[in-house]
Amino acid sequence: MKRHKELGGWLLASPYLLSAIVFFLIPLGWSLSLVFFDWNVISPVRTYVGLDNFREGLSSPRVYNAFINTYKFLAIIVPSALVFSLCLALIVQHLPRLKQFYAVGFFLPYLASGVAIGLVVRGLLSYDSPLNEFLRQVLGSSPRWLRDPVWATLVISFMIVWKLSGYYSLIFLAGLQGIPRELYEAAALDGAGPFTQFRKITLPLLYPAFYTVLVLAVGICFAIFTEPYVLTGGGPRFATHTWQLEIYYQAFERFRAGYGATVAVLNAVATFVSILLIRRAVESWGAKRGFR
Amino acid sequence: MRGLRVVFVGLLALGLVAVAQVEITFWSAPNPSQEVFWRQMAEAYMATNPGVKITVSPIPETPTSEAGILAAIAGGVAPTASENIFVGFGSELVKSEAIVPWNAFPEWEELVKARNISSAIKAWEFPDGNYYIIPMYVNAMLVAWRIDILRELGYERPPRTYSEVLALGEHLKAKYPDKFLWLRSELEVPTWWQRWFDFFVFYYAASKGQPLITGNSITADDKAAVEVLRFFKTLRDKKLLITEPLAQGFEVGKTVMTVLGPWSFPWWKENYPELVYGKTFVLSPPPVPDWYPPTEPIYTFADAKGVVLYAQATPEQRKAMWDFIHWVLSDSEHDLAWVKITGMLPARDDVGTNPLFTAYIEEKEPALLPYAESIAFAVPPIAHVQFVEIQERMGLECIYPVLTGDLTPEEGWEAWKAGIKDLLK
Repeated sequence: MKRHKELGGWLLASPYLLSAIVFFLIPLGWSLSLVFFDWNVISPVRTYVGLDNFREGLSSPRVYNAFINTYKFLAIIVPSALVFSLCLALIVQHLPRLKQFYAVGFFLPYLASGVAIGLVVRGLLSYDSPLNEFLRQVLGSSPRWLRDPVWATLVISFMIVWKLSGYYSLIFLAGLQGIPRELYEAAALDGAGPFTQFRKITLPLLYPAFYTVLVLAVGICFAIFTEPYVLTGGGPRFATHTWQLEIYYQAFERFRAGYGATVAVLNAVATFVSILLIRRAVESWGAKRGFR
Repeated sequence: MRGLRVVFVGLLALGLVAVAQVEITFWSAPNPSQEVFWRQMAEAYMATNPGVKITVSPIPETPTSEAGILAAIAGGVAPTASENIFVGFGSELVKSEAIVPWNAFPEWEELVKARNISSAIKAWEFPDGNYYIIPMYVNAMLVAWRIDILRELGYERPPRTYSEVLALGEHLKAKYPDKFLWLRSELEVPTWWQRWFDFFVFYYAASKGQPLITGNSITADDKAAVEVLRFFKTLRDKKLLITEPLAQGFEVGKTVMTVLGPWSFPWWKENYPELVYGKTFVLSPPPVPDWYPPTEPIYTFADAKGVVLYAQATPEQRKAMWDFIHWVLSDSEHDLAWVKITGMLPARDDVGTNPLFTAYIEEKEPALLPYAESIAFAVPPIAHVQFVEIQERMGLECIYPVLTGDLTPEEGWEAWKAGIKDLLK
């Protein structure tokens, strides 16, 4: 009986396990085997280069830019996504009706094609767009949205925040709905106003949701691709260059599969270490305040 | 019983045909009109050659056609042959022993003569003396001008030199302050292949077609290159060049000049029927520096691609594909069909002189005539295996900093040359 149950469990888990083996473990193993070779995937000759790919990656200005830019994006995207998604969740929670409708509506950008959104944004920010025409009439000039390093970074960050906020707001909404109403009623009886209630009840009890969103958002910052690919190509002058663009460029444009795999490994290490450090910092901050 | 015997014999006969049939696959460019051409050719060929089954499908763009081909070769599912290969990517395939030379077939010389490509084919010879790519088309890049707007400004023909272009720009801004001379938002984007449609076009014009790279050496004409960069910078400083995205520029008359390949014409016919050759737009070779001799022909960049034969195919499949390609390219009527279907000019020496093509072009597509005349002066892409990095660095280390004023044209040019030295070793 027990054996049957175990077999059933394996059977049910097998689709996931199989897909994980085919689409994750085998490619991962293959990528790791590539990092020691200079190879373009099709040549019969694989040149063993030892750790040269790592040396090149660690001294490459392209990789350095991708590394730094990720933290720039992270510094803008993570706090903005947290604030916007929390605000959205609070708005939806306090709606008198059609809560699900609005929650799903805010979630839609997450499902939309990044390329399509990129093209729409490109049109909205084109030189002759109504927005730019208006700015030129009022201010005398319009920003070079996608050609100025600062503006380009902000535009891409904004697109990602807009895309993610609806999704993250659902996580916050679930957290908000899990907070017992009695706590607010008791606090109100004790004379606590809405702001105090938010600070003393809502925020501490939303800690698990906050933690989840934080880790997800940090992970996303290390995987930015579509937005800069469509809008800026990583420019101007590497200002929006990312890890994924570099991997794509090396593996699919320069046909350097070995070096591309090395950059992917460096990206994985940077992502892992960054998430670990941020998690530790947030956990220790939460522990000091008694959040769980 | 007898019926069964008939069915059995019939099935056996079908089986024998199937066994005798050679199956080959051809990947066309991911462009519907090119796919149509190759499908028509394959169907016509199979009608008279039942022993060959040709499957035509477009190259999967995952995410680019080059990456799609690499993935197919790596996965052991490469087609027998494909088109859409330029010399740079061809060099990578040759280095990887992924393609085989066409000139190994005994009828090679016969094909060269039959297609009239004795001169054109020279640019496609690889360092080992072989021909791995049969050029399919050559699109000489020309400059289109909104002659209707130029006429309003008092011009009857487009400007030829940089000074004339700048003077036109001044007249344009004086009459239409919101218009620009040239929209080229990609000039500030490092994407390697975008250089084909800006710097290379102007550089080859200014340098009389002097190659940028020959073998592993930089053989560029420094004076011409610096002059081109200075021209771009001047255009931008005078607000004649717009490098920000613009929904539509030339088509709606917000700009008056654009670098143009003939593939735009079918799209224009569908979306901008008001753009009529000779009436609203004209074509010219790229503008040249003031010191360029007026009697000399003006060179330009050629967007040229061709057909390759993959090493993964069996000898039998290679032979069958060769026979098919030989059949397609030996008949000039097929090249005429190519012009009619794709709107692009075949890579032939006689495309501008053969009445078969000129009669059709003059009557149906007069805008193609300047392209045909320019083929002799069109330089194909860099053949070096490091073409991606070489061209990417041109945008990053040279054009962008020159446009923003961080480097002078001379400094930008030297920065690019210094940056690619290691790649050429």
